[in-house]
Amino acid sequence: MFKKRGYFFTLDAVLALAVLVIGVFLITAHYINVPQPVQVSLLADDLMGFLSNTKIKDLNNAYAGLGGQLWNEGLITDADNSLLQQIGEFYTANNLDIAEEFIQSVSKDSVPPQFLFEVWINDGIVYPKSPSQEHIRSKNSTSLLLTSKKITFGILNKTTSDVWGPYKAEVFVWER
Amino acid sequence: MGKIKKRGIFFTFIAITIMAVFILVFAPSADVGLQKDIQSVKVRIASVDGYVGDLKGRYFETILRATTYKAVLSLISYINSTGSFVGDIDSAFYEISLNGTLNGIPIDDLTGKKIMDNNTISNWTKRVAQTAGSTLNVNTTIIVTNISIYQDKPWAVDSSLALSLLVKSNVAEWNDNITITTTMSIEGFHDPYYLVNTNKAYTNRLKRSSIPFDQWNISKVREHLRNGTYVENPRAPSFLMRFSNTISSSGCCGIESLVNPNSISVSDQRESYVDYLFWQHDYNPAANCTKLYNITNPSTGGGLWDEFEYFKLDISHVIDYNITSEDAVGNC
Repeated sequence: MFKKRGYFFTLDAVLALAVLVIGVFLITAHYINVPQPVQVSLLADDLMGFLSNTKIKDLNNAYAGLGGQLWNEGLITDADNSLLQQIGEFYTANNLDIAEEFIQSVSKDSVPPQFLFEVWINDGIVYPKSPSQEHIRSKNSTSLLLTSKKITFGILNKTTSDVWGPYKAEVFVWER
Repeated sequence: MGKIKKRGIFFTFIAITIMAVFILVFAPSADVGLQKDIQSVKVRIASVDGYVGDLKGRYFETILRATTYKAVLSLISYINSTGSFVGDIDSAFYEISLNGTLNGIPIDDLTGKKIMDNNTISNWTKRVAQTAGSTLNVNTTIIVTNISIYQDKPWAVDSSLALSLLVKSNVAEWNDNITITTTMSIEGFHDPYYLVNTNKAYTNRLKRSSIPFDQWNISKVREHLRNGTYVENPRAPSFLMRFSNTISSSGCCGIESLVNPNSISVSDQRESYVDYLFWQHDYNPAANCTKLYNITNPSTGGGLWDEFEYFKLDISHVIDYNITSEDAVGNC
């Protein structure tokens, strides 16, 4: 009689344990399934870091680099400008088409194709200048949209020391 | 019966203890929450730290360089407009750079040119604080403690900006006292000394002569005079001293040019035509004529009077420019 009741209590404890283990497992699984923002966040920061830390003179790009098309056309004049400063300079000079093409060209190999991004200066969208319907839909429906912000400024004319900015520069990145 | 109850409690107690330990060890929520918090704080601190680094490393240097250029340009325009020198160049520079005023009056009103409008240090510090507030949600306080201008080399002016910087965010605070310096070339600016002394009739832009000190001869002097170029000379005043008519020697930074007799109203004057000596009238008393040389020699046909009639130099500069007796004769 004593032995049977002992088994009963042991079985009861094991069953309770099993129920609790399953419960803990489900809770843990729930946490594991939370979308990880790390990759998108890193991409947003990486893109902003690339734009703000890479100088024109360090860029190997036939369109936007030193001695490239924009350089030869006189639209880029300061090789020490960072890419972000160059975008800001185009924005200041109202060369928004050039700014869009410039961003398109320099970011070509920096953003994996499964991601979309936007570049804003002073709360105005610079890239893409006119977003497609698909682009807008993708942005509106994404569950994870991350941003990286920085302040940018520069010299418009070295002779007259005209300074532009400081502007708020913002990069938005999300998965398609 | 009493024994059975005790064993049941014992087994239940063991089961609860095991589960409690299990839950405590594997419960993920507390751990994930903490990591998330740490990650977001890290990102936040990194972005504000980047902003503070940009301010200290690039922004202040950029605005100091731009403001220095515009303040010097304003001072030259002021001298050009009023025809008078500036009392104390350093305090005038401080006031113009910081507030865009001279003796409390907007410098742009005095010069009639929009040079400092929205371009003072105060304007730029306020602008960056506003932009940082809207971009990074930080509170930036910048207090300028000093701005000064000085020279330690002949062809450039240095300016320095001392300030205290306080950046407050909801996660951290940055507090620092910093001094920024920048260097600006003086080439291309008008020489204020010419503007005042000729009442704007004769202006000369600063342009450095390319001739080394040991290669002067009469043909190089002709070119020098024709081009209105400047050379270093420790006996001459510096560029900044010329704003306040402080005509004394500057060991580090003295520069001089030669006055073109064709560009002044009275070409024939008993003066050394080196700019800072010419308007000081050091050689004007007749007794000093023995120290002056006409840079011409009718007997050899040498000198410069064929192009620059009445051009004269004092003995020191005759030696400096390596002019020989073939090209110069005494003034008396």
